[in-house]
Amino acid sequence: MRTATYFLPRELHPAAWWLWALGLAVAASRTTNPWLLGTILAVAGYVVVARRTDAPWAMAFRMYLYLGAAIVFFRVFFRFVFGGAEGETILVRLPEIPLPEWAAGIRLLGAVSAESLLGGFYDGLRLATMVVCLGAANALANPKRLLKAMPPALYEVGTAVIVALSVFPQLAESVVRVRRARKLRGGGGKRFHVLRAIMIPVLADALDRSLRLAASMDSRGYGRAGMVDARKRLVTGALMIIGLLGVCVGVYATLDGSTPRYLAGPFLAGGLVVGLLGFRTAGARVQRSRYRPGQWNLAEVVVALCGIAVAVVLFTTSSVDPTNLNPSLIILSWPMLSWAPLCGVLVGVLPAFLTPVPDTEKVPA
Amino acid sequence: MKRDWGRADQAVRVGPRSAAVLALVSVAGLMMFIWPLLVRVEPQSMQHGPDAPFVFMGVLPLLIVIVLAELSEGGMDTKALAMLGVLSAINAALRPLGAGTAGIETVFFMLVLAGRVFGAGFGFVLGCTSLFASALLTAGVGPWLPFQMLCSAWIGMGAGLLPRRITGKAEIAMLVGYGIVVAYLFGLLMNLWFWPFITGVEVPYHSGHISYVPGDSVWENLHRFLVFTLLTSTAGWDTGRAITNTVAILVLGPAVLATLRRASRKASFGVLPTFGLPRPDGRLTGPLGLKD
Repeated sequence: MRTATYFLPRELHPAAWWLWALGLAVAASRTTNPWLLGTILAVAGYVVVARRTDAPWAMAFRMYLYLGAAIVFFRVFFRFVFGGAEGETILVRLPEIPLPEWAAGIRLLGAVSAESLLGGFYDGLRLATMVVCLGAANALANPKRLLKAMPPALYEVGTAVIVALSVFPQLAESVVRVRRARKLRGGGGKRFHVLRAIMIPVLADALDRSLRLAASMDSRGYGRAGMVDARKRLVTGALMIIGLLGVCVGVYATLDGSTPRYLAGPFLAGGLVVGLLGFRTAGARVQRSRYRPGQWNLAEVVVALCGIAVAVVLFTTSSVDPTNLNPSLIILSWPMLSWAPLCGVLVGVLPAFLTPVPDTEKVPA
Repeated sequence: MKRDWGRADQAVRVGPRSAAVLALVSVAGLMMFIWPLLVRVEPQSMQHGPDAPFVFMGVLPLLIVIVLAELSEGGMDTKALAMLGVLSAINAALRPLGAGTAGIETVFFMLVLAGRVFGAGFGFVLGCTSLFASALLTAGVGPWLPFQMLCSAWIGMGAGLLPRRITGKAEIAMLVGYGIVVAYLFGLLMNLWFWPFITGVEVPYHSGHISYVPGDSVWENLHRFLVFTLLTSTAGWDTGRAITNTVAILVLGPAVLATLRRASRKASFGVLPTFGLPRPDGRLTGPLGLKD
């Protein structure tokens, strides 16, 4: 592998970015330590800034940051409003508002303790970090290329979504056309009438367009049902149904603590595996060649491995050193930070240096 | 006319096997929505209760993927595909119209009307693709997306399962009623799923009075949840959504239904086009381009 070709500007496979981000999100779900969560946020933010393009989906990362801030804010705010007096250290005593009988047991305002506020902050920060990690995946992965890499069993649904994404801009043009026609006719009328007079022609236009599109897709061989013999279809269906039965039992057992534990995790995982096998055989009927399939080279492997490594490190350290991953809320103290999880999280920043920069010359496909 | 199951003229046919898969996914999905009410925790496994929702966030997308694969398993009509794509685009365009203004949710009424016209299977898939496409367009992919997709898929499917015989004004009245019920149910389910995350789980050092308490009885938790949802969203968001649905279906409903039915007739789903008479050996002579 020559470094010159490795670092040639190109767009990485979107699945690699998703694996990386999901690894970070899983890692975030394992800890409530604010230092670690802050590091994960910093890592995600740094990589996004280093490797994003200027496509519209890449610019939306800011929205996820706002949303994360809102989650933390509401979490803490609810502790204020709906009472959080548990704990020793009372910060403020607000006047308590009595509520009617039907809302029995609910208290508005009142004393607020540092412990409950801190608990709200930790939990909120964890959820916010997970949301921001997904936002990073959104910013880095090209959704259109991700749709191209859909598994074959979802071929039809993927095609429908691609049609939706490409028809979307035409709708605006359609609205403009209908409004111009209305103006030429000098149409006035009340508000609801105007709504109908624009909406219905646009809808009719879009539906007609869909039939024309279907005809042209037919002539190019899209959406042709493959030939699958009845036995294979029976196997597919049986696998899916058995798998889903397993999932149902597993989910129920996970929730109900009084059922034996071997019904919970193993059934859930086993059911999913069997169901996904059915999903794979369902995809066997679709035999289509792909135009310029997405590449999966060394850089993609590096990105995916970095994300998985972060998750693995936090999983292993949580069994060794659980107190520092989830700081105590009963005795207030500064949360401590140990080296192992911190180094693990910092592995996640490597894609910012070890990947080729995105190709900004080309219009994203 | 026979029952909706597997009617030949439906855009997405739902055979008995697909119906079984749909039902199983719905049961498992519903459990993932209402898990805060179901959890019964043994004292020693207390710390495992709050882990479950993170597992569900990973499991639910896989379930949706499986049911979508099953629904399109026999191969989908291109006309249904194109129709799905175009209607999803319209829904995705309608969605941001209401965003920002409290509770004005414009995505559901089209879903209800399309589910009514094109049937339950189409409604289910449309619910999924609409929300997915709009999430991709507005970059709204997050842990909530699978839950929203499943909810709106149920809404589209339910609209397709409403009784067929009712027509005219009574049909609009029925759809308005359905729209209102669905608006509140959607709010309730989405709240229920997210409730433990936003108020925090009851733990020894904190007993917020509207928080979720793992291991408490169903009624206790339900009471707490209803108070939470009344205080936070019923008045604003859910009622706003119900009003939007009502107004949109009343004002646009008849015309949109007529337009969709016209398109459905023109598309003639499930009918294999032939040139002239079928050949004596019964084989078809290939697809006929649709006349426009």
